[in-house]
Amino acid sequence: MTALPRDALGLGLRLPHYEYLVEHTPALGYLEVISENFLGIALPPQQRLDWVRARYPVVLHGVGLNLLGHAPLDERYLDALCRLADRVDAPFVTDHLCWTGAHGVSHHDLLPTPYVPELIELAAERAQYVQRRLGRPFGIENLSSYVELRRSTMSEWDFYAAVVRESGCWSLLDVNNVYVSSQNHGFDPREYLRSVDFSRVLQVHLAGHTQEPDGTLVDTHDHAVASAVWSLYADAWRLGGPFPTMLEWDARIPPMPEVLAELDKAREARA
Amino acid sequence: MSGKPAPAWLAELQAHFGAALRTPLDRSTGTLRATPEQYDAEALAEIVDSARAPAADRLAVYNRQYWFRMFGVLQTAYPLTVRLLGHWRFNDFAARFLRAHPPRDWDLDRAPDGFETFLVDALADEPSRDALFDESARDALPEAAQLDAAWRAILRAPATSSFAPSADGAARLLDASLEPSPATAIFVERWPLMELKRTLASIAGEAPVPLPSRSTESRAWLLVREPAGIRQHALEPRECQLLQLLQVHTVRDALGALEAQCAETERAALPAQTQHWLAQSVARGCWSGLHFERAP
Repeated sequence: MTALPRDALGLGLRLPHYEYLVEHTPALGYLEVISENFLGIALPPQQRLDWVRARYPVVLHGVGLNLLGHAPLDERYLDALCRLADRVDAPFVTDHLCWTGAHGVSHHDLLPTPYVPELIELAAERAQYVQRRLGRPFGIENLSSYVELRRSTMSEWDFYAAVVRESGCWSLLDVNNVYVSSQNHGFDPREYLRSVDFSRVLQVHLAGHTQEPDGTLVDTHDHAVASAVWSLYADAWRLGGPFPTMLEWDARIPPMPEVLAELDKAREARA
Repeated sequence: MSGKPAPAWLAELQAHFGAALRTPLDRSTGTLRATPEQYDAEALAEIVDSARAPAADRLAVYNRQYWFRMFGVLQTAYPLTVRLLGHWRFNDFAARFLRAHPPRDWDLDRAPDGFETFLVDALADEPSRDALFDESARDALPEAAQLDAAWRAILRAPATSSFAPSADGAARLLDASLEPSPATAIFVERWPLMELKRTLASIAGEAPVPLPSRSTESRAWLLVREPAGIRQHALEPRECQLLQLLQVHTVRDALGALEAQCAETERAALPAQTQHWLAQSVARGCWSGLHFERAP
């Protein structure tokens, strides 16, 4: 398992990207794939992944671990995730500090949880277990959220930092998520950044968001990165760079040169 | 893992939150609209009103995201059915399906499993409001959903190695059963749906595409996954029968059953034809192996 260069720039791989990659094989530090897209037995995704892995380092990003679900972690899911991580020799694996399903129903969404000490222990123990099973660094991503829960007794950033610290795992810091949540809940995103232990940051995510008519920001990944998010990224870089940085563009994906140009803006923000 | 269990209140909170975000969207205004007034009261009680928006409006973001994500997944899985029904009607069936069968797996691609079966019953219960639900449509839509399901199953099949008969295997072939490759399917259509499917990419919009006229005769197709996509081979009627019989019988019994179905006038040519069709099916990768009912 080879670590990524600390200043690596990567892209979230989505189906519409393959054709361009096959034709042009652009210079990219790494690609991040959604783990669940490759956990199954279907041949076509496996063939695409093999092609990509032969040319780029691949890191895994999950959306289905359900770290903070009320039910225990799904061992069948973890078995498949471990096999996939071994297969692509992932430098690291990441997922979210959230719950995705409960009582036998999977909502396929990243859902918020109350920020309380009782759940720090739960999340940290589970994350530590995942990292041990994987045998490679496991990074926990901060969430973008649209609601605040009445039961919370601490800030999101204190909760997040405590889970990372107590688990012995790593951070996947999503700067867009910090910004989206800060605007939705009225906190200072820079205060959030100051709480991050950058020595534990495996990777930083960048993405675009959308504003609803009532002003709520939604983490849609269907736009270019907002200028306020670039500004926050520059602050993060000053506070704790270098760190690998990855762009997610999941919907209304423009032609690949435009996506690559957006990723390239990270170089300017770092200057 | 044997760890400390989650607190009981977390299970309750997630049950209420989950119920709220699965609250059906309202269709009565001609657009899909969240109805926060119907949200689980316990879920709302867990959420803080923000300066910008009340708790219910914020919960509605998750509610809409759930439904639109799931509609998108089902639309992708059943592209031909969507176009025949139109997006609006399709989403109605999709919503009913998801209420009856909420997604249970971490694999989002499994959420549509079984929709084609659900649709058959749902169409039977659908009142005849307009031409879309006339008798033809009630027959054709399940057929379209079956084609979508077959297509999807082939794409989701694992890597398979095609059966290549050895000299020994060929000698014992008659007593063997051929194992169908999961990367192939036989599809028999009464409407020219395969042709319609080919043209879908050039038809924009979300309105229903008119159902083409029913074909004068059924047509059979063999669908085969190849590196460049799914190839469609037209099958002759008897060839289709043979392949279907081979999926459930030994080669000997399949040949016997086919012969029994043929008229006297067809039988003279049958041995040469079946040999050709059998060889062609092997060459096309229809089979992944052989097995014997009894020890050979």
